[in-house]
Amino acid sequence: MSELSLERGLNALRAEIDAPVAAFFSSCVHCGLCAEACLFYVETGDPKYTPITKLEPLRRVWEAEFTLFGRLKGLFGLNKKVTDEMLAEWEPLLYDSCSMCARCSMVCPVGNDIQYMIRKTREGMVAAGHAPEGLITAAARAVRTGSPMGLKWKTLQVQIDHVEASSGLQVPVDAEGADYLVMLSSMEIINFPEYLEAITKIFDHAGVSWTLSTDCYEATNAGIQIGNKDIAATLVQRIVDAAVKLKVKNVISPECGHAYTAVRWEGPNLIGKSYPFRVFHIIEVLEELRASGRIKTEGKEMDRLSLHDPCNLARKSGVIQQQRNLMDLVADNFVDLKEHGRYQWCCGAGGGVSSNERAAELKMTAFKRKKAQIEEVAPERMVTMCATCRTQLEEGLEDFNMDIPVVGLTEMIAEHLVEKNGDRKQ
Amino acid sequence: MATQKTLGESLREHGVTRRGFLKFCAATASMMALPPTMTSAIAAALDKARRPSVIWLSFQECTGCTESLTRSHSPTVENLILDIISLDYHHTLQAASGDAAEEARLAAMKENWGSYLVVVDGSLPGPGSNMGYSTIAGHSNLDILKETVEGAAAVVAVGTCAAFGGLPRAYPNPTGAVAVQDIITNKPIINVSGCPPIPTVITGVLAQYLTFGTLPEMDDYKRPLAFFGQSIHDRCYRRPFYDKGLFAETFDDEGAKAGWCLYRLGCKGPSTYNACATMRWNAGTSWPVESGHPCLGCSEPDFWDAGGFYQALSVPTANATHTLAVAGVAGAVVGGVAAAVAKKQQRHAVADREPVTIEQLEQRL
Repeated sequence: MSELSLERGLNALRAEIDAPVAAFFSSCVHCGLCAEACLFYVETGDPKYTPITKLEPLRRVWEAEFTLFGRLKGLFGLNKKVTDEMLAEWEPLLYDSCSMCARCSMVCPVGNDIQYMIRKTREGMVAAGHAPEGLITAAARAVRTGSPMGLKWKTLQVQIDHVEASSGLQVPVDAEGADYLVMLSSMEIINFPEYLEAITKIFDHAGVSWTLSTDCYEATNAGIQIGNKDIAATLVQRIVDAAVKLKVKNVISPECGHAYTAVRWEGPNLIGKSYPFRVFHIIEVLEELRASGRIKTEGKEMDRLSLHDPCNLARKSGVIQQQRNLMDLVADNFVDLKEHGRYQWCCGAGGGVSSNERAAELKMTAFKRKKAQIEEVAPERMVTMCATCRTQLEEGLEDFNMDIPVVGLTEMIAEHLVEKNGDRKQ
Repeated sequence: MATQKTLGESLREHGVTRRGFLKFCAATASMMALPPTMTSAIAAALDKARRPSVIWLSFQECTGCTESLTRSHSPTVENLILDIISLDYHHTLQAASGDAAEEARLAAMKENWGSYLVVVDGSLPGPGSNMGYSTIAGHSNLDILKETVEGAAAVVAVGTCAAFGGLPRAYPNPTGAVAVQDIITNKPIINVSGCPPIPTVITGVLAQYLTFGTLPEMDDYKRPLAFFGQSIHDRCYRRPFYDKGLFAETFDDEGAKAGWCLYRLGCKGPSTYNACATMRWNAGTSWPVESGHPCLGCSEPDFWDAGGFYQALSVPTANATHTLAVAGVAGAVVGGVAAAVAKKQQRHAVADREPVTIEQLEQRL
């Protein structure tokens, strides 16, 4: 087994250069619009955070080895080489200052998917041994214990016991043939256990058959975040194995943005085959239940609420109207942030930034964009549906002394469900 | 005198906001592939620029180029800039006629000697042909052009007719039509080709001239590289289908309905350089390929004679010069070899790739 090395890193970058990457690099018109779309650049004003700059290692390999001009330059020794020092210098640019929110990809006037290339460049960084410590340990724990935070099933079992005691409902575990297999993220198990209670109540209310799996209950994909397809595929395969074993029809991704895009969009490509089940975000499932009249609610939130769209859900997956329909169900005084939905600004914590301790300060600087957005509409509470976004919103608002609580949309729906007994009386 | 006002003053009089103006400048910087920091330089220069005198000559043409410019959907900043440049002479647009019109041209030339721009649309009957095919006020196009260009700072040939001869020059070329650049050799020429050209490209060229006082960087056909630097094919949203080998075979087959590549239906995108795919037409609504029709190659020389519009040809060869055809083929071969080598390299890299393990990762901690 060889060690991670610059040579392996360069080879990984070469392997990642496909037709789209070649087209993107040759298409870049250096207009700089991606800079203005990136919260890390906008909030620091430091030009090194311009998204396209972050791709310099990949671009150099492409130019030197994949273009005629670069090859000619090479003959005269004019190419700038990618060195180990360069990769070390770029590591913070690729990991600390990019949440892979894809806002740069969206605004690029020539349609370059910069975020896609960041993901690819990280493959080279990992193979060259230049990944942040926080992400390495998270990936190692995810592969070894099944959770990037190292949680074992018994921790989840404790939460399940709590939920069952407080709701009086049973949380189905390893129920073969259920319609939905529910995946969680460690963040939801530790920080937001109310999520599990909420779906237990909602699914009981709507008569949905669902289950958790003791084989695989965590779907955060540390492989996607660190940028390694081997680790990412291992983690996706676990979900597939668990779902196949329990013969479920659908899998619900955790309320975690990158977990959702990893299992829904990238997973089949990673493992090289299609799923025998479908994948949804809980918001999509709830919206379908709402539309078919299976969720009955009473009462509405009267305070001024606003919504943070997770980038992976809204911008990358087009789930935008669904959460607003659900908001309408339970909120009377809802106001959208000025840039929302597809144009949402990232919270600053995604793409592995939150697992990377070195990035903690930069992450809070980037949060100023969200803070400014929130100040513009001055809501009394913020609502969201991604555990990472929610943690970042809570920490950020506290950091800036803003007294605005953050709630999960799923939990809010659960609070307004018509009680079963009340239902019968009517 | 109309030319005393600066562009900035005139724009403000027309109610263009500072923000709208800056947006236009930013878009211009982006179109010209300049760094965003140039936006303020462009804004400052345009704001102070005196309205340039423009003399617009129309020769053997269909007025489509003028139509393209004037039929914009809403009053955008670029329209306003064109509205308020000192358009001192324009056959189609001016109210004056006869001697009064010709005198306006001569007066504008005299007052702005050495600094006015001549915009030409349409080709002209060249030397040796019958000058009676196209005359204005009894003067031949050739004489008018030579006379007018004498005191000009530069000549902008708008449209494929003026730039390359266009339709009037198509085989068998009964009027002996030639392009502006075949006649004028002592003045800078910018060819803004297209049948018609994209309005924003025309204003972009004017904005650059006003900003920097220089002509844009140009390709071998004297077309501004900022707009004609890349092929339609490279920018086409149907390109992924080409890369995958998915082609529409007829205009109503499943492939056409699914939006596949139109290459086999005669699309000249691979050999055509223009900005349609990125700027689009009708206020950004659409462009030929998006509405289901292959690119005709309208911004290229001799596009009328470059084989049938619906024949699949990647390089127009029928009427192209020998050198051009050879260069095209040689370019394709060199590019092909480079692509093949790169492809091989990539295959090796994929084959050599070793899976990264957790243990290897942890050694780095």
